[in-house]
Amino acid sequence: MKAVVIGAGRIGCGLVGQLLRASGWEVTFVTRDPEVVANLNRNGHYHVLMTSAKQNQKVTVGGVNALAINHESAVVDAIAQADLIATAVCSQNLPAIAPLIARGLAGRTRPANVIAFENMPNASNCLRRLVASMLPQGVDVDRHGFSGAVISRMITRRIGNPSDAAPLTFIGDEVEDFVVDRTALRAPLAEITGMKLVDDYQAWVLRKLYTFSAGHATTAYLGWLKGYHYVHTAIRDREIRQAVLKAMKEGQKGLAAKFGKEFAGDQPELDAIVARFENAAINDPIVRVARDPQRKLGADERLVGAALLAEEAGVIPEQLALVTAAALCFSSSGHAETCTACFEKSKAAEALNQICGLDAAHGFGRNVAKSWAQLAPSILPGNLLLSLKQHMWARA
Amino acid sequence: MKIGMLMLRHPPTRISPIMPEVVQLLEKWGCEIQIIYPEERVTPLSHVRAEHDLYILKSGTEMALSLAGALDAVGARIINPYPVAATMRDKIVSMRVLEAAGVPVPETYITSDSRRLASLLDAGPLVLKPYRGSQGRGVHVIWDADELDDVSNDEGPVFAQRYYKPEGEDHKIYVIGDQMFGVKRVFPAKTYAEKIGQPFTVTPEFREIALRCGRAFGVELFGFDVIISNGRPYVVDIQGFPGFKGVPDAALRLADYLYAAGQRAIMGEPLVEAALHERRNGAAL
Repeated sequence: MKAVVIGAGRIGCGLVGQLLRASGWEVTFVTRDPEVVANLNRNGHYHVLMTSAKQNQKVTVGGVNALAINHESAVVDAIAQADLIATAVCSQNLPAIAPLIARGLAGRTRPANVIAFENMPNASNCLRRLVASMLPQGVDVDRHGFSGAVISRMITRRIGNPSDAAPLTFIGDEVEDFVVDRTALRAPLAEITGMKLVDDYQAWVLRKLYTFSAGHATTAYLGWLKGYHYVHTAIRDREIRQAVLKAMKEGQKGLAAKFGKEFAGDQPELDAIVARFENAAINDPIVRVARDPQRKLGADERLVGAALLAEEAGVIPEQLALVTAAALCFSSSGHAETCTACFEKSKAAEALNQICGLDAAHGFGRNVAKSWAQLAPSILPGNLLLSLKQHMWARA
Repeated sequence: MKIGMLMLRHPPTRISPIMPEVVQLLEKWGCEIQIIYPEERVTPLSHVRAEHDLYILKSGTEMALSLAGALDAVGARIINPYPVAATMRDKIVSMRVLEAAGVPVPETYITSDSRRLASLLDAGPLVLKPYRGSQGRGVHVIWDADELDDVSNDEGPVFAQRYYKPEGEDHKIYVIGDQMFGVKRVFPAKTYAEKIGQPFTVTPEFREIALRCGRAFGVELFGFDVIISNGRPYVVDIQGFPGFKGVPDAALRLADYLYAAGQRAIMGEPLVEAALHERRNGAAL
C-alpha cells in the first residue's frame, strides 16, 4: 500500500509517517522545504521521540523518501498511484496543495482516500471543495474519499537542522490514537496503527475540541494571564489546574447531554489529559498554544462552542466564560494593545458578537462580557494576575 | 538541560523552602541539576569549565561570586551574569549605577576613615553599612559624631547614606523576568512570617523604578528595598537573586523563568531580553 504524505513537519513526520510505516505502508513525503527533502532522501529515515512522565521511547521511522513540492510532475504521479493521500500542512496552506491533489486524482482510474490531518474541524470539506473546483470537467470529486482526522498526539517540535547530515527527530507524546470518518471514505483503507474508523465523526471532533482543546486553551490563556512561559509550568499552578479541570468538565457535561455519558468520558480521562499537559519534554510555549485567538474564539470552537453546548445541557459554564474573556485579552506579543483597543465598553458587545457570535446581553455572552470588562483594564505590559480567586494583580 | 546551582548550605533551623522546590520542579521537568557548594570542596581552578548549559548564582558568598567569575571567564552562561552580580554585590558601585540611571537613592558617601563623616551629621543622621554586606547585617544608624569613633575602619571603604526615617513598613520589590511583585515587611524582619510580609500591588512609580533598575544593570532577576520618607521613595539596597519570600507561587515562577532561560542558553540566545542584553554589553558596566 502506498501513501503520499503532503507536509513533512510535526504532524506529517511526527505522527502520520510513523504510524503508516509501522503498519507496513510505503511512504513518500511531499514538502516545500528542499533541505528536508534532501535530509529524508539522504538518510532514508528519521526519528520520533515519544515521551511521557514515565519514559521516553525513540522510534526510527525507516524506508521513507521525499519529493519537493515544486517537482510537480513527480508529485502528481505519486498521488495518481497512491492508495492514500494524507495532508498535514496547516489549514491555511490547503489552497496551495489542492491543485496538485486535483491533478493527481484526475489521472487515476481507481478511487482514492484523502485524509486531512489538519487542526481544523471542517478541513476535509474545505479541501474537497478546493479540489473539486480544480478537477477537469467530467471528473467527479465524489469518486474519492475526503475525511478529516482527529488526532490526539501532542507534537511540538523538530530537533536537528535538515541541512545537517544527521537524521531529523520529532518530539511528541506517546498517544497514537486518531479517528477517521468511515462514511467519508470511498475506497477500502488498509489498517493503520492507531486508526479508529467511526460513523459519527463530528461527535469525535467535538469530543476532542470541547475537552482536550478546551483544557489546552485554558492552560494557555490563564497561564498567559499569570505570567507563565510553558504549558507544563502553568499546569503546576494550583488555580490554573483547577480551572483547566473545571473548564473541561463543563465541556464534558455538554457532550454527555448530547452524545451520552459513556461517549463524553469520565473524570479519569480529564485527569489523564492534565497529566499529559505536565509533560515537560513536550516543552510547549504558552504563546504557541494561545496563538490565533480569533479563530479559537469562534462560535463552534473549543471555548465558545463547548460553553454553548454546556448551556444547552443546563450547565452554567462559568469557567469557560473567564477563559473566553482571557482569550479576548490575549495578543501573541504579550502586550494586549489589540485587545485594549477593541475593549471599549460601547464596542465590546459588537466585538463579542463579531468574534464569538455571542450576545453580550444574555447567558454565556453576558458572563463573558462581564469577565472581559473585569480583566481588560489590568492587561498592561508586564502585569500579571497573582490570584484568580482574589482577582489580585501585580500592578496597580 | 544541565544546570549548575551555586548555593550556600543553610543551617537546618532556617526555613527556606523556595529553592528546594525550584530544584524539585526543574528536575521534574527533566533538568539535570548539580548543586555546587563552593565552600565545601576544593576546586582546582584549572578544572573550572562550562560543563552545564546554565549556571545559577544563588549564593551571595565571596567564594561563590569568585567561582562564578572563573566560570564566566571560561564562557559559562550564568544567572545573574557575573559582571552584574559583582556590581550588585558592591554597594559603592551599585548605588552609583542606580543614581546614574535616575533611580531615587539617598545621598551616599564613601571614605576610608569614618571620622571624616562627622561634618555630614549636621544635616542629619547617617546609615553606615558594610559596602559588601547583605540582609541588614552590620547596619548602624549614626546620630552623633562620638559614635563614629566606635566604627571599625579595618573592613575596607566606609559606606554611608543619609538616613531617612521610614514611614511605615519597608517595601520590597521583586522582579522575575518582566514580572514585578511587591511585598511589605517590617525592618528588620526576624521571624519567617515577618519575612513573608504582605503582598501589595506595584504602583506605577515603583514600576518605573524597577524598570530603571533592571535597565541599569541589564538584569531581570533581582529585588530591591524602598523606604518612603516624607512621601518620597528611596531605593536603599538592591540584590541579585534575592529570596523572593512573599511572592505568590514564588518557586513555580522562578522555576518557570529559569527553565525558559535554560532554553535560551541551549539555543545560544541572550539570557535576558534583547534590550537588557544590549545594556549589559554597553559602556556603563
